[in-house]
Amino acid sequence: MRRLEPARCGAWLVWVFLALALLYPLGRILALGLGEGLGPTLANPYYWGRLAWSLAYGLGSSLLVVALALPLAYAFRYRFPGRDLWLSLATVPFVLPTLVVALGFLALVGPRGVLGVDLYGTPWILFWASAFYNLGLVLRMLVAVLPALEPPLAAARTLGASPWRAYWRVGVPLLAPALLAGGGLTFLYSFSSFGLPLLLGGARYATLEVEVYGLLAYRLAFPEATALILLQLAVLALVSLLYLGAQRRLALSLSAAPRPKPLPPAAAWRLAAGVWLFFLALYAPLLALLARAFAAPGALASAWTGGDFTPGALALANTLRFAGLSLLVALPLGFLYAYAVWRGERSLDLAGLFPLMVSPVAVGLGYLLAYPSLSGSLLILIGAYALLSYPLLARALLPAFRAMPKGVLEAARVLGAGPWRRLLRVEWPLLRPALLSGTALALAAVVGEFGATLVLRRPEWATLALAIYERLGKPGAEPFQEALALAGLLALLAGGLFLLLDRGRRGLG
Amino acid sequence: MGGLLGLLMAPALAQPTTLTVLTHESFNLDKNLIAQFEQASGIKLRFLKAGDAGETLNRAILTKAAPVADVLYGFDNSLLSKALAAGILEPYRSPQLPSLRSEFVLDPTYRALPVDFGYVALNYDKAHFKDKALPQTLADLARPEFAKLLVVENPATSSPGLAFLLATVATLGEDGYLDFWEGLRKGGVRVEKGWSEAYYTAFSKNGGDRPLVVSYATSPAAELFYSEKKLTEPPTGNLLLPGSSFLQVEFVGILKGTKQPAAARKFVDWLLSKPAQENIPTQMWVYPTRKDVALPEVFKWAEVPKEPAQLSPQRIAQGAERWVREWTEVVLQGQSALAVRKARR
Repeated sequence: MRRLEPARCGAWLVWVFLALALLYPLGRILALGLGEGLGPTLANPYYWGRLAWSLAYGLGSSLLVVALALPLAYAFRYRFPGRDLWLSLATVPFVLPTLVVALGFLALVGPRGVLGVDLYGTPWILFWASAFYNLGLVLRMLVAVLPALEPPLAAARTLGASPWRAYWRVGVPLLAPALLAGGGLTFLYSFSSFGLPLLLGGARYATLEVEVYGLLAYRLAFPEATALILLQLAVLALVSLLYLGAQRRLALSLSAAPRPKPLPPAAAWRLAAGVWLFFLALYAPLLALLARAFAAPGALASAWTGGDFTPGALALANTLRFAGLSLLVALPLGFLYAYAVWRGERSLDLAGLFPLMVSPVAVGLGYLLAYPSLSGSLLILIGAYALLSYPLLARALLPAFRAMPKGVLEAARVLGAGPWRRLLRVEWPLLRPALLSGTALALAAVVGEFGATLVLRRPEWATLALAIYERLGKPGAEPFQEALALAGLLALLAGGLFLLLDRGRRGLG
Repeated sequence: MGGLLGLLMAPALAQPTTLTVLTHESFNLDKNLIAQFEQASGIKLRFLKAGDAGETLNRAILTKAAPVADVLYGFDNSLLSKALAAGILEPYRSPQLPSLRSEFVLDPTYRALPVDFGYVALNYDKAHFKDKALPQTLADLARPEFAKLLVVENPATSSPGLAFLLATVATLGEDGYLDFWEGLRKGGVRVEKGWSEAYYTAFSKNGGDRPLVVSYATSPAAELFYSEKKLTEPPTGNLLLPGSSFLQVEFVGILKGTKQPAAARKFVDWLLSKPAQENIPTQMWVYPTRKDVALPEVFKWAEVPKEPAQLSPQRIAQGAERWVREWTEVVLQGQSALAVRKARR
């Protein structure tokens, strides 16, 4: 008879939630499609072409993002003007509806863009978009890891290794897991990305996810959709396993909060200039969007009151309300999940990433079959939001759990504190900074466009993202300007939330 | 967890009768009008939205065994047969039927009643074509000089996209339509996922590179209505090539298994009544099906195509799935029209 341990309880709770919110609904959909149609679908070269492109996009994106994030992370070891600001803002793109981001890109490098170069329909714009979305995540991971390289490197140097040799033989092996983890996460997001490739690359660059969406939502073609979902799951599960393996090998003890090193003022300004330039270039589409959004000051005012559309005021209130409610679920879930995995509940490790791997459309339709009486209820909506946001929270918490000083925990145990008491009095306070960081990310997932296609919803529940889409569904200059204004508001809201919450920078895992 | 949430989300007070209406993204009626109906009838309306018309119908079909709503609004004539065949609707002969234009009452079993209609049509950017020639026929579009100016929606994920595909089938025939689309693909037509993407990212009026777009015949009127500088004429125009536009009639139906048949009928009657029908044009940019409703001033810019393409709901039901598949093979998968035709048994 095992004692009731918090880790075990947590693992059970997470499993129950996953079973209800993901496995059962998804199973209902897959069950409709198993059987006849799987073979012919897998025999169609067109779908293999889609898979090949999705893979190429995922791999290319992760290589590019890692290659950009590594030197940048080195720059972030130093203190320079604007360092913290950029670290916080780097995650803002995460929350913007894809259609809005696409508008930003097109305003800049579209056929009639300000820059005069037309990148529409080229792979370049897609890889840029991927860096735009994912660089912040990977950067935060690396910023957390790099300071921990210092002691082993110094030791190698003391033992007589040249700087390069020390780096190759000691630094790189230690860094590899972090790079793999960052690359893996980028792959997960790009491989299954839906909106942006389609919007910026045209139909030629649709990913598998787009095919699944068309097959399910429009044609109810369950056999084909099931085949593709399974194919996608196989790829993503494989990548996730690699990613988790890399994460576990993150054997560096992360110092509590890596403090940036001071620099002489002149050097600090030079570094700042370089970093600022890079970020301004990377996020130029967002700036172009903001410029367009606030070009017509009247638009925000008219969007606020609504007129023929959902009032911006209501949409903002809804966004905040749903974000708050789903945090109530996602916070305990994410915390328990990270805690259980840290305490060695291995079974959970892969399962917890599951929500990042399945097609939201499939889960959404699954909800309708699984819980018809709840459809259009807030419970389903919040459940869906929590499902999408808790893995992000947990990924941010895990490294913090793993970095907790063992001595303190041991001392608490020796002094007679039980597991529950230790969790409350010792572990919780040590984790708070990472928890805030993770909360910021989870919020980002919720205030963005997630859930737009996920479940049945009521007009009075329109969030900012939906209010934007609603306006983009009508012809005319006014709705268009209002949509841009609301997009600007959404971007500012996200940025503000991050700056508020993101005090404990631990990076992500 | 669930129990706690249930407490948090419990509705404050149970309403007397709540009627749930499943509808698409574009549904919109004046809030005051809805409030008036609720007060007069004692029915609380709850609207559920589920993407576009095709997605919405599919959700109703998918949840046939345990319906999520009482009334379904917004499936059009290209989806009518699918809706009727799925057996999800109850017949209802509304007393309002005699006031509706009879040519739109397409369902003799009265399970689907026509609420409004409109036309999917080509729009062009007037600024671009100020001193350039416009295409003269639908077949002209496939010529290289025009194909690279056009953006269409993917018929697999968009109802105007599907309507335009149906127009090409009706006008150019079972074989001709594939050659036409092959010409478009070779000429560099641009395909977008849905109407918003096509209109707001690809159409040259909004910063894209395509001065021709598949949209609605009322879009120019809406452009004027929502223009910032209060223009005197719309910046876009309808390009009504013979057989290039397609009639879309939107229907309402009562879902089988509703626990509130009386309230559902009341709502349907109201949707077909004069006040609601008068509100429809500027809220959803479609025409009312009622005979005795005057159109708003701005609708003089919304032309009714003289020669729209026509396909019966039965023919659409038999062919739509295959046409969309063949379209995908030719336009997206790059197969030749000839090979696709050969593959037909």
